[in-house]
Amino acid sequence: MPLDAKEIRRRRSSSLVYTEPPESLEQLSDQAALPNLNADWVNAKGAWVIHFVLIVLGKILFDIIPGVSQETSWTLTNISYVAGSYLMFHYVRGVPFDFNSGAYDNLNMWEQIDNGDQYTPAKKFLLMVPIGLFLLSTHYTRYDLTYFIINTLATLAVVIPKLPAAHRLRIAFFSPPPDDA
Amino acid sequence: MDLQETQNTLVRLFNDANAQFHKMPGSAIILRYIKSSYQDDPVRSAIELLLFLFAVRYMLSPSYSTQKKVKLTEEEIDELVDEWTPEPLVAATTPTDEAENEKRPVLVGPTGPKSKLSNGRTVTNLASYNFYNFVGNEMLKEKAIQTLRTYGVGPCGPPGFYGTQDVHMKTEADVAAHLGMPACIIYAQSFSTISSVIPSFCKRGDIIVADKAVNFPTRKGIQISRSTVRWYEHNDMEDLDRVLQKVTKEQAKKPLTRRFIITEGMFENTGDVSDLPKLVELKHKYKFRLILDETWSYGVLGRTGRGLTEAQNVDAREIDMIIGSLSGPLCAAGGFCAATNEVVEHQRISSSSYTYSAALPALLATTASETISMLQEQPEILTALRDNIKAMRAQLDPRSDWVKCTSNVDNPIMILTLKPEVVASKGWNTEDQTQLLQDAVDECLTNSVLVTRVKAYPLGLGVNPRDEGWQPTPAIKVCVTSGLTKKETEKAGITIRHAITKVVKSNKWSK
Repeated sequence: MPLDAKEIRRRRSSSLVYTEPPESLEQLSDQAALPNLNADWVNAKGAWVIHFVLIVLGKILFDIIPGVSQETSWTLTNISYVAGSYLMFHYVRGVPFDFNSGAYDNLNMWEQIDNGDQYTPAKKFLLMVPIGLFLLSTHYTRYDLTYFIINTLATLAVVIPKLPAAHRLRIAFFSPPPDDA
Repeated sequence: MDLQETQNTLVRLFNDANAQFHKMPGSAIILRYIKSSYQDDPVRSAIELLLFLFAVRYMLSPSYSTQKKVKLTEEEIDELVDEWTPEPLVAATTPTDEAENEKRPVLVGPTGPKSKLSNGRTVTNLASYNFYNFVGNEMLKEKAIQTLRTYGVGPCGPPGFYGTQDVHMKTEADVAAHLGMPACIIYAQSFSTISSVIPSFCKRGDIIVADKAVNFPTRKGIQISRSTVRWYEHNDMEDLDRVLQKVTKEQAKKPLTRRFIITEGMFENTGDVSDLPKLVELKHKYKFRLILDETWSYGVLGRTGRGLTEAQNVDAREIDMIIGSLSGPLCAAGGFCAATNEVVEHQRISSSSYTYSAALPALLATTASETISMLQEQPEILTALRDNIKAMRAQLDPRSDWVKCTSNVDNPIMILTLKPEVVASKGWNTEDQTQLLQDAVDECLTNSVLVTRVKAYPLGLGVNPRDEGWQPTPAIKVCVTSGLTKKETEKAGITIRHAITKVVKSNKWSK
């Protein structure tokens, strides 16, 4: 039995969407070798509170900039939270620590959380936060159409990749082609 | 009447619910939010409502695993357990193994240039890496005993956990100073040095370009690292250039990963040396790092035994990591990796064989320090060995009609392979050559000269023999030592040459 996943990790250059294939036996054992510190912290104590703390701090930061209206301030808070969480959960792949010999290099953090299980408490919470923030910020922007469109698009950008249907899905436009090794 | 009553009940219920809702903390906020959110725009409200409903649905969904798990019943588990027969840890001995074991010479007492076998005969030992006969050095023995009295036998702990003693730090400093490198780290076993150094720097996605003929521990290290490996033909710098060029081109658009060239200074299985100036040039040209395994050249090549860097006049700091051995010629044990401070310190917590195995016994560390200073202070030790190498070589390489020596002229390990034209004319395959050379080794032993053979790499677990990769050519290994006089060496050389000739001309092989 070939332990290498080389045979199954093939992507045709023409296809726009492809699904990350399951890991080889060797990769799975490397993943299990040590705890995944990159993703495990979302279940740690205080990990949920930090989201609210950061949002409030961001709001205060944008409020103290002179000449920024309440509408802009809320929109900026929403956008910066969304941008930060997109970068963290959906853009960066792999683990910053050398604990698993790079066995997580093809997965982003959202896919690493809870070993890829869906609808877990941590994932539910992490989906609730941007939606709640969106409802709040549209409320405080007094439903101005421009702000509303910006906020909606930003929220969708982090909600859609969190859907179970988007699990391990790669779209050529957003992600470079994978290594063949 | 009934209708009236129902209506009243409903109104009452609604009022109660309303009152309850208003009593609830935060209800005013929700009411205000809903009131202000409508704002004469049904589309926006609809989008918000949809998002809200989606959020509620997501919250209520039960969690599930995306991993494929096979559910087995108790009976199925029992059945599988019953069916399972463990593979033997060690394969059963084959008749060839048994025959080999029977003939295997057993040394009695200490090893040395003249060793006693279990059958009572004394033989000239040209099968041990005792190049300078430090084994028989009384001064070293005395120093080791002194250290033993002060420090005990072993530190009984890994270096990071009470295992490091002052003598280890001194040995590290000695090796670094000898090589002219900024820092050095000492490992407890020579074999596991490079096989642990490589994986501590490489992981999946990193690129390793390695010589096809690298020794077994290096191969193991490359394998453990899970990196992408590209092999180049043994000592072929043009091929290396081609491979590096190809790799650089392939990786140009991908995110930058770590890239290494891995090769040996003096090859264990072919005996020849690398072209270091060219390697350094290529490494700079293509921006690779160079890991050089000097296990067999440290303490042997160069005027003071500094290895290939000294022999080929290359600044050691041009090489990113020099791995070497303190066992064998230096008469101690363990290995080292000399490099910059950062590279060395990184290994202290992330190199598995350093962190997880007990530190080198103190008496071996002091022995290594001592032998290194001897090599530096008395270069005549090295010249005496080279004289013997020359004497041995004169008896074998040009004189023998059947074998040639692929080793470097300064290499005390002489690798004698059958000449290709002889092999071609007789039509011997690898197995025949192995058997013939084993016969020659046996014949040497009958004439009281103990030599050995280059052994093939063992096949990995579950690896198809087709994919075994590079294998050394069958060869006889003769280890020259300065413990013998020039005359004795010459005599042993003549014995070996005659033994080979006798075996090749014997009835078994001459047909």
